[in-house]
Parts: sequence; C-alpha cells; structure tokens
Amino acid sequence: MSPIDNDTDLARRGLLPAGLRDVLPLDAAHEATVIEALITTFSAEGYDRVKPPLVEFESSLFAGPGAAMRESTFRLMDPMSQRMMGVRADVTVQIARIAATRLKDAPRPLRLCYAGEVLRVMAGQLNPERQLEQVGAELVGPNSIEADVEAILLAVEALRSAGAEHLSVDITAPRLVPELLAVHELDGSAGAALRAAIDRKELAEVRALGGDAAATLNLLMDAAGARERGIEKLSGVILPGDARTALDRLIEVSGRIAEAEPGLNVTIDPVENRGFEYYTGIGFSLFSRGVRGELGRGGRYVVDGTGGEGSVGFTLYMETVLRALPDPCLGERLYLPYGTPRHIGSSHREQGWVTVAGLIGETDIDGEARRLGCSHVLDGPDLRALDNN
Amino acid sequence: MSANEPLVLALPKGRILKEMSPLLDHVGIKPEDAFFDPNARQLQFATNDPGLSIIRVRSFDTATFLAFGAAHLAVSGSDVLMEFDHPEIYAPVDLGIGKCRLVVAAPAELAEREDPRRWSHLRVATKYPNLTRRHFAARGVQAECIKLNGAMELAPRLGLCRRIVDLTETGSTMVANGLVEVEHILDVSSRLAVNRAALKTRPEPVNDLVERFREAARAA
Repeated sequence: MSPIDNDTDLARRGLLPAGLRDVLPLDAAHEATVIEALITTFSAEGYDRVKPPLVEFESSLFAGPGAAMRESTFRLMDPMSQRMMGVRADVTVQIARIAATRLKDAPRPLRLCYAGEVLRVMAGQLNPERQLEQVGAELVGPNSIEADVEAILLAVEALRSAGAEHLSVDITAPRLVPELLAVHELDGSAGAALRAAIDRKELAEVRALGGDAAATLNLLMDAAGARERGIEKLSGVILPGDARTALDRLIEVSGRIAEAEPGLNVTIDPVENRGFEYYTGIGFSLFSRGVRGELGRGGRYVVDGTGGEGSVGFTLYMETVLRALPDPCLGERLYLPYGTPRHIGSSHREQGWVTVAGLIGETDIDGEARRLGCSHVLDGPDLRALDNN
Repeated sequence: MSANEPLVLALPKGRILKEMSPLLDHVGIKPEDAFFDPNARQLQFATNDPGLSIIRVRSFDTATFLAFGAAHLAVSGSDVLMEFDHPEIYAPVDLGIGKCRLVVAAPAELAEREDPRRWSHLRVATKYPNLTRRHFAARGVQAECIKLNGAMELAPRLGLCRRIVDLTETGSTMVANGLVEVEHILDVSSRLAVNRAALKTRPEPVNDLVERFREAARAA
C-alpha cells in the first residue's frame, strides 16, 4: 500500500457515525468535573445516586412517560431472551421504573439522582449530537408545592455550583391548555391545528380557530414572559376547574421561586406544552442568557403513567450546560526531568501538583517541558516557572 | 454571543423589505442609512435603539438564524416558519404583509385531463420539500421532492417534473409559463417571530418589541 493510501485509510478511521464524537483532553476532564459538581449538589441535599443499565427491554423503556421516546430509540434484539431491547434515549423513565419496582417500599419522599449517557436515533435540530449526557434528579412521592419548589431550586443551585451564570427559569402549566380545550370540546384531532398554533404562539390563528376559548387562550398566551407582568395579565382570567388548578399551582410555585431566589430571572408561560406532553403538574425549563437552547427541563409526572405515584424532577443536558460555562484551560503542570526519583515526584503530587515525568534523557529540559505542556520544571530541589513563549 | 449584547432582528432581503419600511417606522425602529442602500455590502446594521441591531439575510435563512439564537427576533414568512417547523421559534404577530399563497401547479393541459383524487405518487419540484411532503402525506400521496432554489416554473416546461409547489401572489408568472393552480396548500403572510430562549431570558425587551410590532400591524 502506498503511503498516500495509508494516510487516507487512517483519516477515514477517524470518521465516526453522524452525531458521535471523541471527547478529547481538557474537554473530557472538564465534563467529568462539571458532572461531579452537579451530583455533589444533589447528594448534599439527600439525593442518592442510582445507575440504571444502558439497555433495557423496550416494554419497560416505553412504559408510561417513556412512550414519548419510542421514535428516538435504537433497538436491538436480545439473542438470549429473543425479546426486543432498546438503548435508553432518556434516563428519567428508568428512574421512574426503579421507583415503581425495586424501590417501591423505600420510604417516601424518595430522592434519587443520576448521570448517564443516552443515545438517540435522530439528532435534535439545535444539537448534532446523538449521544448525550444527562444529569438529573427526581423527588418521588409527595404531590406538594414544596416538592415542586425543591426540585426547581435544586436545579438552579446545581447549575450555579457548576459555574453557570445569568440563569433563567421558565415555569409552565402543561395541563392547562389540554384541560381548557377539553372543556370547550376542542381537543382530539379536530383541535390539532389549534394546538399547533398555540405551541407557536400564533395569536391570529388561535383567534380564528379557538372558538369560545379564543379570548381566554389569547390572554394566556399574552401572559408569557416576566412573572410579575404575566400574573398581572392573568388577574382577570376565568378558567374551568382543572385548568384553574393548574394555573394556580403555576402562580404559587413561581411566586415561591421568585421569593427564594430574588436574583433569578423567573418567567412564566401558561400555554407552553411542546415537549411537556407527559407532564401532569408543573413544568419548567432552565436557560442561561446568551446560550442557545435549554440547559435542562423538568416537571411533575406520574411514575407509572396511569395515575399512580407522582414524581417531580429534572434533567440537565450536558451539551448545553457546557456551552454555558467558560472553556476549560490547561492547569499548571510540573515537569520532572529524566531520572528524578519517584519519591520526589510523589511529594510534589501530595502538595497538589500534576507531574509529567521525562522518560528519556533530555538535552534541553525547558524545551522538553514546554513541548509537553508543562508550566514548571523541577530544577534540582527547586520549582521554576517557565516563560510563556 | 455574550449575555448583554443588543437584540438582533433578522429581516429578509428583497420584496418584503420594501413593505417593511412603513411598519418599521410605526414601530419606531430607524435603521442606519446604509440599510436602505441595496448596494451596501454591510450585513449588520445599527438602529436608533442601541439595544437593537438588524441583520439582512435571505428569507429562508431568517428561520435558521432565529432557531439557533443568532437572531433573537425575525420577520419571517409563515411558509418558511412552517417549512422548518422549529420548536425553538414562536410566531406571535401576523404582520399582514408579504401575502401570497403556496400552491400545487401543473401545466394547463395536464391539469385538464387528470383527477387529483387519483394521485398515488408524484414528483414535485419545490423550494419547500417538508411542507410538500407533509401536504401530500396527509392525503395519502407519496411525493418525491426535487429541491430547487428558484425558477420553479421552468421545471415542468423542460421536463424536470410535471408538477411544482411554489408561492404565487397574483398567479401571473405561472400563467406566463403555461401553468395552472391545481391545489391550494396554505395562505402565507409575514410574521414577527421570536426565539424561545430569547423570550425566556430577556422577556422585557422582547415582549416590548412584540407589543410594538403588534400595535403597528394593527394600525397598518
């Protein structure tokens, strides 16, 4: 084989399937550090880490809230059981399964957290990645305002601990619009165009398609934005039973969040429903100003999908979280010239140094240290900083 | 993009831009002079509001800039917004300008002798493959789309395919090319569209602009 063919062959080996990538030095360590910071915050508030498997039978993966992930899931056949399995496309549904099965008798409230990778058939429109890292927490059991508030504040605190700034939380009431449309008999397939218009906040279309509910829907859509302004706009709105309950919960929870976190940008959106279809209580999304897409989202849903136990929790999307943080930089490293005894290196490592040992005799120690990305060299008994050039 | 940069409004080049001018006046946005010079090479323009700048992009790109948060607001055709149907975009204001229709058209002699209810598989030239596929799929017709970026009307005449899906305002270009409208897909108008994250993270200035545009559209 000619050298050119060999080069092409090597280059091609670096080509990965769409949406998959190698995470290289600095970035890989940075990601691990951020995940660690998030999990540490969860653990400090009594959330115990669990680790579900990568692959499960599809029957359990798609139960209840998992049904939303059906189209995004890679399937494979288990030659042992002859049953179809799916590679998880979301961890939340696995946590729900754990809570409903193995930890059914564990005392409530049950607080669980996780970090794990998921695989999706199709990349999202904003992110080309198909392998994603999810970090999240779930509070299983009590259907209380306090639980909703705890979950949202935990997410905010965890993001802050990782270094995210200019945070914004948007609180929604995913059940409100479906309940309202059901009362006005605008649900089902006939209401699909109306639902799409509401999702896109197309005021004019909603006015045309909304029938009796049009005025109320317009008012609700108009309230999307800053919390105080939104609540003012909502003061006169008249809603039927369950829709009213959903809105009251949104107002109450968002009020508590604003009170607890005066520096946080709190917005509300009574009509937001896209991607929140499986939530049965409040929903929320986390943003950082200037960063595209959501840092994470969460809400309240029913663990087994059929009216059983409730849970409120959230998932943080690492690919967006990392975009909201400063890029990692290479830390200080100490070069140990060839022949430095091991115990000398150890004593520096004990003081917190990262050391890089020379494995062959150098002619130019400083040059070799720089080549290997070191900021300092061991010069006899002393440490010496290298110039930056 | 840093956290405190001005909001960016994306406007489509061409036809709509002329119709935009009175609307912008009414909203109170005064772009710098170069904006109205069609020969200017500049792509981003300051306005009388230091918190708002304008970019001028191709009409199809308004939705892309917006979806990725490179622009916070955009004036975008409902055709373009529906073609991409992006969950990150809201379209709160119908500006009532740039009105036209998206239609299926075919050569007159073909339209005369065939019955659209019998279609099962079609080859269609269009700028809107997603909308076209969705439209035909809803009635159980398989549409194979050939993506073209312009001069759609030429396709049937030169045998590229027999049908096209395209915008038409008065229908005169179609008639001039021997085509007739066979089916209506949707009515199109320009919208003020907003990036979802921008509305959530900077609700005050974004909602303020939305309200001013709504007011201007109502007055027009």
